[in-house]
Amino acid sequence: MKRRHFIVGAAGMGGALLVGWGVMPMRSRQGRPALLPLSAGEVPLNGWLKIASDGMVVLAMPRSEMGQGVHTALPMLVAEELNMPLAMLKIEQAGADTMYGNVAAFMSALPFHPSDTEGPELATHIRASQWLVSKVVRELGVNITGGSTSVADAWEPIRFAAATVRERLRQAAASQWQLPLEVVRIEDGHVVGGKMRAHFGELAVQAASVDAVTVRLKPYAAFKLLGKPTHRVDVPSKVNGQATFGTDVRVPGMVFAVARMAPTLSGDVASLNVAPATGLPGVMQVVQFPPDAQRAGGFAVVARTTWQAMQGANAVEVTWAPGVGTPPSTQAIAQQLRATVQARDGFAFYDKGDAVAWQANAASRLAVTYEAPYLAHATLEPMNCTAQLVGGALKLWVPTQVPTMVRAKAAQVAGIDVEQVELVVTQLGGGFGRRLEVDFVAQAVRVAMAMPGQPVQLLWERESDMRHDYYRPMQVATLSVGLGADGTVDGLRIDSAGDAISPRWMDRALPLLAGPVDMPDKTTAEGLFDLPYDFKHQHMAHTATNSGVPVGFWRSVGHSHNAFFSESFIDELAYAAKKDPVTFRSDLLQHAPRHLAVLRSAAQAANWGQVLPGDQAMGVALHESFGSIVAQVARVQAVSDNQWRVLEVHCAIDCGVVINPTTVAQQMEGSVVFALTAVAYGQIDIDAGAVIQGNFTGYPMLKLAQTPVVKTHIINSLRAPSGVGEPGVPPLAPAIGNALFALTKRRHRRLPIDGLSVQ
Amino acid sequence: MDLIVNGQNRTVNVASDTPLLWVLRDNLGLTGTKFGCGISACGACTVHLNGQAVRTCVLPVAAAQGQQITTIEGLSNVAGGGVLHAVQQAWIDEQVPQCGYCQSGMLMAAAALLSSNSAPSNDDIDAAMTNICRCGTYQRVRAGIHKAAKALQLSRLPGTES
Repeated sequence: MKRRHFIVGAAGMGGALLVGWGVMPMRSRQGRPALLPLSAGEVPLNGWLKIASDGMVVLAMPRSEMGQGVHTALPMLVAEELNMPLAMLKIEQAGADTMYGNVAAFMSALPFHPSDTEGPELATHIRASQWLVSKVVRELGVNITGGSTSVADAWEPIRFAAATVRERLRQAAASQWQLPLEVVRIEDGHVVGGKMRAHFGELAVQAASVDAVTVRLKPYAAFKLLGKPTHRVDVPSKVNGQATFGTDVRVPGMVFAVARMAPTLSGDVASLNVAPATGLPGVMQVVQFPPDAQRAGGFAVVARTTWQAMQGANAVEVTWAPGVGTPPSTQAIAQQLRATVQARDGFAFYDKGDAVAWQANAASRLAVTYEAPYLAHATLEPMNCTAQLVGGALKLWVPTQVPTMVRAKAAQVAGIDVEQVELVVTQLGGGFGRRLEVDFVAQAVRVAMAMPGQPVQLLWERESDMRHDYYRPMQVATLSVGLGADGTVDGLRIDSAGDAISPRWMDRALPLLAGPVDMPDKTTAEGLFDLPYDFKHQHMAHTATNSGVPVGFWRSVGHSHNAFFSESFIDELAYAAKKDPVTFRSDLLQHAPRHLAVLRSAAQAANWGQVLPGDQAMGVALHESFGSIVAQVARVQAVSDNQWRVLEVHCAIDCGVVINPTTVAQQMEGSVVFALTAVAYGQIDIDAGAVIQGNFTGYPMLKLAQTPVVKTHIINSLRAPSGVGEPGVPPLAPAIGNALFALTKRRHRRLPIDGLSVQ
Repeated sequence: MDLIVNGQNRTVNVASDTPLLWVLRDNLGLTGTKFGCGISACGACTVHLNGQAVRTCVLPVAAAQGQQITTIEGLSNVAGGGVLHAVQQAWIDEQVPQCGYCQSGMLMAAAALLSSNSAPSNDDIDAAMTNICRCGTYQRVRAGIHKAAKALQLSRLPGTES
């Protein structure tokens, strides 16, 4: 690792901090001790950490736990630098200061090819863009848990904050005990020197007044905790029913509301007769809410219990208006996208050589079209928000990935200052990108405004959750190459089309950054323009459309469909070139040692090339996303009646330095299930402006009986940590499609793929 | 309406067709049992009725009257003395949960399976465990059930009573 030295002055942390040149200088990310709220006896050391009188360390936790293990990973960073057991560390929700914003989440939105952002000498325009974006997002301080960036973002600031505390404790002990600094060390959560030993609480006050220390981050070789399989701190509360999700919030006097929205995506209430509901047991009030944040209008029934609210909602006599901007049917959108792709005039995200000329001069040309449908997130905990308006202040309890946006939206709806919005972030019963949105928050705030003083928990039923999502957009792509007479494959041209996510999300969640004109949206093109393969001639263009369907970020975003397109097509090219799919890829990756190592790891683990029973076959796919590279080898088996099952998936991942291998394995296993669900079942259809699927009967989820054995193989790496929560999703669909081709010689170019056996 | 929940007598004033799920959550404050689908498709609302796994989002409270209702909050007490039930310990050992929202129901289904089948095969687990986990923890659920089965078998051997 790069050795960086830091000097810190206690008086003005920022001014005295010297850092090596980097895109994310940490001077703005240590924070003032005054940022931390204090309980009796606690001593704050910076904006991240405080020490309690009993020696416990408390970390300000800016990120949301939605199953990805971040409430364990970030404490592990602290425990490592402070040589302390994880059990001595507590977390408290971080405040609203901009220093808790997620810089990495926005840095990864820059549309640069990964090979252009490697190495010490970056092009000036790339450095300039990175500097500008990091500066802007640091100023904005948007707190967001998404884009598989939580550890990447925290990696330097939080370790540095902990290392600073460590050095201050040593300095304080050396002064107090009158020992040379060199003999004072930290072991097992205690400061030790000579015959002296003290817990952190005994030295916290002195440490806070230490004037300046020299801080050096631990070298990787000295890590004792990072990289070791570690039990998650949230698990005990998730096996005894005590973990508090959004729906589990109980505030004294709280009542329950159920929201019902217009069946059409852009619809609204035309007329409402609440009389039949108001006489029912427990029903207190009916509150109408308008369309907002690309969300249909509707009403909420407030009652003493959820069931009474549901009965009230059933009794309300409502007629619906279609509203403006009713989206076409999914069939019509698909046709439109196919025509758009044919026009071949998208924004070029990547150009290299001359793909068009190469194809024109080639002996033959291969061009195929791939398609992926709309998908719903279907978090198991439906959307919900608890709100209470007291005086001019709002209190919210929300399972959210975007605390900054929740507060901003609530303030806007209530017409109050954002400082008057207090937010408690609960555990999230799944996120997957759905909880990057604030539509349900706006509704809950409107209900709270109609019943001042009254705490209300607003819940969506499953049908509302599924029919009023921000869907993974449908995408269509035509991929083509030229085939040379000598067997050379080159001139890769990709034309894709689909709704752009980021501009619409900016409109509704972050209007501050939304512009009058949509910028090219990297998130829908990622995974196509940034392929690692060494084609000399490439052209990748994407046309951003706007069908009117509310679209959003779905676990792995553009990669979720683009990896299916690109890695299935690469497989087609391997067959066209009459080469083994692993060999074909390897030949095109000679310049990309990380990708090659990941591919080989998965292939070796799966014993690629072994002779399999006649009813089985393997498929491989390799994909980089969120800074990490994952290769998967899936082994499928034919069962009777055109049915198939997946027996085993080997996942190899290079995600840089690993914090908790247990979490990495969990995320690979979960990603396979999440992606296989989409491969086998995932399809949202829209007809007459409304989503057809409404529950798990029409939009099924994979079950335990259908789950393959998933084996995770982690590549040793000294790179800074990159994403883990999403990169396991993209390669699964092409690995399955490629395995099915190997088995049946039928190429699947459209998702979902029929025929997954129920067991 | 008189109910026996986790060994305690509870009286609630609710309509008899109210699903047991909402009585547990909204009237009795036992929020460990979750709402997921409302149509008995996902199993997040699973509790034990006389030791059998039932999905409570569609079970009228009247049908549970006078019977032994056990929720996730009562699972460890059933095993005795606040010690974790074997499935709960196995869930920790195998690091099963991710977001955790489905896990109360998953644990109740697993505990019910083990009470009727002390050494379930993979096929038995496939057939019995139909709860939905959106995070995809199924592989660890399977491992957790096998582990809990072994632990329960050991605890039943003579001389190893804890």
